[in-house]
Amino acid sequence: MAIVKWKNPRLYDPWADLQNLQNEINDLFNYDRVPSSTGLFDRSVTPAIDFVEGENDYTVKCELPGLEQKDIDVSIASNVLTIKGSKEENKEEKKGKYYKKEIWSGSFQRTISLPATVDSSKISAELKDGLLTIILSRKEETKPKQISVSVK
Amino acid sequence: MDRKKEIENKKRRFPASTDIFQDEEAVVLTMEMPGVSKENLHIKVDKDLLIIHGERKADEDAGHYRIREIRQGDYYQEYTIDDTIDREKIEATISNGLVTLKLGVKESEKPRKITVQVK
Repeated sequence: MAIVKWKNPRLYDPWADLQNLQNEINDLFNYDRVPSSTGLFDRSVTPAIDFVEGENDYTVKCELPGLEQKDIDVSIASNVLTIKGSKEENKEEKKGKYYKKEIWSGSFQRTISLPATVDSSKISAELKDGLLTIILSRKEETKPKQISVSVK
Repeated sequence: MDRKKEIENKKRRFPASTDIFQDEEAVVLTMEMPGVSKENLHIKVDKDLLIIHGERKADEDAGHYRIREIRQGDYYQEYTIDDTIDREKIEATISNGLVTLKLGVKESEKPRKITVQVK
């Protein structure tokens, strides 16, 4: 072995592994993402997303490391946002061995139902360092209105 | 108990998803670090210790998180490398949050072909 994972005893928290295991088991029970299967041998994968509901806009972040603009397809229909794409691993014939293989490849799709209609003319999507950020503006009529109370 | 608190107070660190591939020429590590730019990637070699640290700034978006799956914190992993790795032949590239780290194997360690002479 030319390379070995090293655990620094100063950094190594004996509780962390147990905590991670517990979280993973909890996630299994809270699993509400149904991976859509695309084919018999196509493993469907789901990149992690964040969806933040702000006062005037919604922000969607999606982790897509190693993908380029041409690999990603973002579309919106009424109030459903879809992020689609595919991540191909390089299929070169290589002579060697893998010590570890954790990176997935294949096609993915995430759909998000937006709580309200958005202004489809004001959508910005930016891909930077493998992180896709989509900002959608809410329509004027769906923004929460402040009602001033007058005291008599 | 104090130690546990100390760990909790530190910024969270976790290893990135990694592929490690070795052939005769080099050991190649591919790591997924979305959100890490060139400036925030620190790779250090200290004797036998290889430290890979991808910093991410913790940014809380104002508003209510309806879905939260992206982990907060830094990517951090340490490896021990042995003497077969040439310290002068280590190169790293990052593009679209995908880090490729190539550790070249020393010339003296590469398998050599011995040609058989027929007389």
